[in-house]
Amino acid sequence: MSNRPQAQAESAGLNKTESAFRVRFGRILGLFRRLVSNPTTVLGLVIIGLMLGMAIFAPWITKPNVPDPYQMPRDWGAVRMPPGTPGHWLGTTNEGGDVLYGIVWGSRTSLQLSLIVVGSTMVIGTIVGSIAGLLGGWVDELLMRIVDVFLSIPELIFALAIAAVLGPSFANIIFALSVVLWVKYARIMRAQVMQIKANDYVDAARVIGDSKLNIYLRDILPNAVTPVTVQATLDMGNVVLIGATLSFIGLSEAGIAEWGVLVSEGQAGIASGRWWASTFPGVLIFLWAMAFNLVGDGLRDALDPRTEGR
Amino acid sequence: MNLRDYILRRLVVLPILIIGVSIVVFTLTRVGGSPIGIYLSHEMSPSEVAEIKARFNMDKPVWTQYLYWIRGIFQGDFGWSGVAAAPVSDVFPIKLAATMELAFCAGLVALFLGITLGTYAGARRNRLPDHITRIIAVSGASMPQFWFGIILLIIFWANLGIAPIGRSDATIFASIGHPTGLYTIDSIIAGSPKALWDAIWHLILPALTLGFGATAIIARMMRSALVEELQQDYVDAARAKGLAERIVIKRHARRNALVPTVTVIGLTFGFLLQGTITIEIIYRWPGLGRWMADSVLRGDQATLMTYVLFTSILFLMVNLIVDVVYANLDRRVTLGK
Repeated sequence: MSNRPQAQAESAGLNKTESAFRVRFGRILGLFRRLVSNPTTVLGLVIIGLMLGMAIFAPWITKPNVPDPYQMPRDWGAVRMPPGTPGHWLGTTNEGGDVLYGIVWGSRTSLQLSLIVVGSTMVIGTIVGSIAGLLGGWVDELLMRIVDVFLSIPELIFALAIAAVLGPSFANIIFALSVVLWVKYARIMRAQVMQIKANDYVDAARVIGDSKLNIYLRDILPNAVTPVTVQATLDMGNVVLIGATLSFIGLSEAGIAEWGVLVSEGQAGIASGRWWASTFPGVLIFLWAMAFNLVGDGLRDALDPRTEGR
Repeated sequence: MNLRDYILRRLVVLPILIIGVSIVVFTLTRVGGSPIGIYLSHEMSPSEVAEIKARFNMDKPVWTQYLYWIRGIFQGDFGWSGVAAAPVSDVFPIKLAATMELAFCAGLVALFLGITLGTYAGARRNRLPDHITRIIAVSGASMPQFWFGIILLIIFWANLGIAPIGRSDATIFASIGHPTGLYTIDSIIAGSPKALWDAIWHLILPALTLGFGATAIIARMMRSALVEELQQDYVDAARAKGLAERIVIKRHARRNALVPTVTVIGLTFGFLLQGTITIEIIYRWPGLGRWMADSVLRGDQATLMTYVLFTSILFLMVNLIVDVVYANLDRRVTLGK
């Protein structure tokens, strides 16, 4: 599969870098084909696509609240409206918050949360893990003991404690999750670096006299990307799940357009039969987490030829 | 490395990790400013403030304060809980019993369902039951538990009116003694079937909600372990002997598939422990999780510190035991990697 583009490149007499690019492109294409051959992965991708669409087109789906669109608009003339009410198609909460508005703008909040947390933890974890794996010795020992301590405290409880100390705000939830979750990447990255470092081609590069940085950037890092990518995909869903849980407990600002906050706001109405305000936003959290779980699983299978036929 | 050295090494590392966690917890509470604030008011003179600071050792350097905290813990003094309006050490055992009762029952649900579903799916690989189990597993892992709990409450409590909320009926609860703090056990000791029924009746829904997410973890692991075992030669040998497929799976393959499944027990335990926080909020369960949530929102630092430290130590111990048991069960494991 990956031989064909290379052969084409050679016959076309292209130079070395260009053919390397072709090979890589061919590999990505092959990976993509394997991904979409799995129906559950496709389902995940479709859900993610719809969520992204909702986040991008939020201002066109529901009129943004002024001045802050991430704050729920309050329609005090229409509290506790059931779904199907004109202007409030998914109903309203006890405080006149439009459920549809919360869902649509909540997709933006969730996207921000997951992108910032996954992005920052991935970068920090990759750097720490690489340093530990490359240098070894006491640096490795020290860094990994810190990682062990962080892993000793259950994730949600750790994040809850950090967010609690900093005070209730959505920004603090983002910060707390970033502090807690980088350790996973550090562990994965360290193991990868150690493993790849022992390969012959790294020795070969060293013998030719490549600089350490060059070896790391060209030989080690690209080969370590796979498990980090899988973890990042799973975390895109996981982070929203934990973030929504913290919001539900009450660590976001009240009134922010966020799914966990909305479920919590709707909870007050369930005793009187108003089921909608909690139910709908929860479905979105569920779908979001499930979609990234499905794609993450699919990605793992597609990247690992041993798990074929699972 | 042999098994004894491995266990010894882990036992040496354990206190180091616990000290590390205690430093993290202590540092956390100092990030948000000095905890002395709750004892002070605007009318106090500087000398009064100094006196209060001295009483709680807040005038000493930070590391000395840390040592005072640790010394307090060893003397059984965990501080004063503003939320419970009592010393943390007085309330903790009662709340812990309530939480453990819930988590244990949820764990039983998860083990039973997880092993059953995992075996069922693994034995029917890539057929309809397998796909259904996979969907259940993925949804269990992706479902926000607080939302699932609310949905069950909407159906069984708000609409059908058959499920209770809370941990017990107040009068029945008061009618028996509570030597262990575990309502089910206490009702058996008291010989009161009414109280036992009350306890179980209140447990069912929260235990199911909490157990469902953990079921996914176990079912997934059980399935892949069984699939692996079914490809082994001894399974073919058992089949060649003419044993029924049911016996081959039940007596041979499943037994061995349980070994790797042991490794996810630590993960499951952490999951259940964290899950109790939201489940207890929703079902108004008077346990540690709800206490922690209240403490977090009302700045009760003594409770927060104790809770984080305690759950982490528990989590570490369970993981240690799981690793040792697994190393004992499966001699192929390379130790001390």
